[in-house]
Amino acid sequence: MSEFYFNIEEANTLWKRWKLNSEKNPNREAIVHWVAGEEPYRWTYKNLIDTAKKFSQELIKLGIKPGEVCAIIIRHNPLFYPLYIGISRIGALPAILAYPNPRLHPEKFRQGLEGMSQRSGLDYILTEKELDPMIRPLIENPKSTIKAVYFPLEWDLSNSNDEQLDKEIEELANKVKDTDAAFLQHSSGTTGLQKPVVLSHRAVLNHVLNLGKAFKLSEKDKACSWLPLYHDFGLIAAFHIPLAYGITTVQLNPFEWVLAPVILLEAITKEKATMSFLPNFAYNVLADKIDEEELQGIDLSSLRIIVNAAEPIRHDSHQKFVKRFQKYGFNPLALACLYGMAEATLGVTVTEPGKPITELAVDRNELSKGIVKFADNNSIVRICVSSGKLIDGCQARIVDDKRKDLPDGFVGEVAVKSVSQFDGYRNYPEKTAEVVEDGWYFTGDYGFRYNDEYFIIGRKKDIIIVAGKNIYPEDIEDAVNYVEGVIPGRVIAFGEEDPELGTEFVSVVAETNAESEEEKNKIRMNILKAGMSIDIAIHKVYLVPPRWLIKSSSGKPSRKTNKERILSKTDPQVWSR
Amino acid sequence: MISPELKQVILKQLNLDDFDIKDETTAPEVPGWDSLNHINIILAIEEHFKVKFKSYELLRLKNVGDLQKLLDSKLGK
Repeated sequence: MSEFYFNIEEANTLWKRWKLNSEKNPNREAIVHWVAGEEPYRWTYKNLIDTAKKFSQELIKLGIKPGEVCAIIIRHNPLFYPLYIGISRIGALPAILAYPNPRLHPEKFRQGLEGMSQRSGLDYILTEKELDPMIRPLIENPKSTIKAVYFPLEWDLSNSNDEQLDKEIEELANKVKDTDAAFLQHSSGTTGLQKPVVLSHRAVLNHVLNLGKAFKLSEKDKACSWLPLYHDFGLIAAFHIPLAYGITTVQLNPFEWVLAPVILLEAITKEKATMSFLPNFAYNVLADKIDEEELQGIDLSSLRIIVNAAEPIRHDSHQKFVKRFQKYGFNPLALACLYGMAEATLGVTVTEPGKPITELAVDRNELSKGIVKFADNNSIVRICVSSGKLIDGCQARIVDDKRKDLPDGFVGEVAVKSVSQFDGYRNYPEKTAEVVEDGWYFTGDYGFRYNDEYFIIGRKKDIIIVAGKNIYPEDIEDAVNYVEGVIPGRVIAFGEEDPELGTEFVSVVAETNAESEEEKNKIRMNILKAGMSIDIAIHKVYLVPPRWLIKSSSGKPSRKTNKERILSKTDPQVWSR
Repeated sequence: MISPELKQVILKQLNLDDFDIKDETTAPEVPGWDSLNHINIILAIEEHFKVKFKSYELLRLKNVGDLQKLLDSKLGK
């Protein structure tokens, strides 16, 4: 296998890197755009770059300038990629946003977009014509920061070949510095709680270097992923790293994958992919939810690394995946784990490809007190799965509540410092100052270190992670507060472990004066609908009498304390369904 | 027309007492019917009616009416 080689100085912005790759290997496939049951669309590096140049001409003609933010809201489409690259070429900042699920109320979608635009300073929205009626009222609002909405899939690119203009754009592209912002990534959330992470070209290319090295990337590698590109795991691992390194990435439609998970295995088989990336729940879905008949002809022997990240890693999920797919050629040593976050571009630690993942059996009770003690005969055991060692260019500390270092063997908050660190949350200095101190980013995740390996076991923040997607409980609580029969302000939402799917599900506790079964069922239904209006599936509703919820020191109902109280299942006053 | 039997299987899986499910109803309109639950609903239908769906058949479904038609074809109706 060829050695890992990546020299940032050869091409120090993303555009220069993509162009260099198209010059070196014009006919190599860059992106295989996969659509279930159809022949995939195959972009070579040359075609991809040539089409991106056409898009950049159209963008310049519209008056889009370097540094302006272009939000892209487009479903799985082969033209998405050259559009993204074309935006980057002119020095503007692409920001990929999720296409709204039909269950999301149009007004909620607009509110989210408006909140995001005020925070991130979105200048343009590039989307599909179908969304025009939903987005138009937002643009027409005089207070909106959004300058225009465009439909690039409708553009006729056949005349976008003005040589003089192209020369001018190339000069513009050459002026982009490696320290300039390359793109924005948004955290999840629906009511403007999203934090826009700004990453520079240097940060991203440093990441290709350091994470690529940790993945033992080679010219022979081929990535295959269904992950949405508005999520850092998909965007960095399955899009930026392969394209900057100059190899092929196979891109599946996330909406198709959730309906037919087997398509990932088919794509890996047909394309002989060597790398894939999955949040933990996907291991359960693939192992448990596909019929044996559908697996005929599946061959996973080409996979040399499959990376688990984006939600807590569960020992059982790996076990069942290996058990199911070993007979289809899957090598158990291809399992790998990564810990990271968008604020560090993606990865901070990763396990070594081709080596077994360290798992520690520790005493659960001691762990809950912050002490790492190996399990003995009297212990209730918790298996902690390693997220590996630090990648080059990253440092990490385990700290206490006062941000003082803790020795190995103790659980604390993970703080990281990375050459791929973000430049702060855009237009959000107070939030940046909260989490960054002396160059260290305080992650809000709890973990411990053992033999230079990091084990992530929980989080300080109340974020709920469902199938790799971060959900803010505040969003749910805000929506449920308006439900008739619920006492306003007396609601909490939290994540409950879903052992079947290897992820969490959303639970809501609400105070109510309702007493009859009929009234309670009606309130529950309305709570479920309130969740639907913000595109969040609430799986369990707990109804409690007035003044049941315990307040925290801030005067609001405490999520942590009330979650523990609910899950102890000791109070007969709690109604649940 | 959605058969009462299919409706019951769906409602049971979603832990709902009742919900107006028609031919043109789509998953996002039904409380709890998200992409993760979708897999479980399909598995529950397969188990109840002793049928097997192929992934590509499921990708073509636009609404519950399509699901009913697919189910009927499997049952030889």
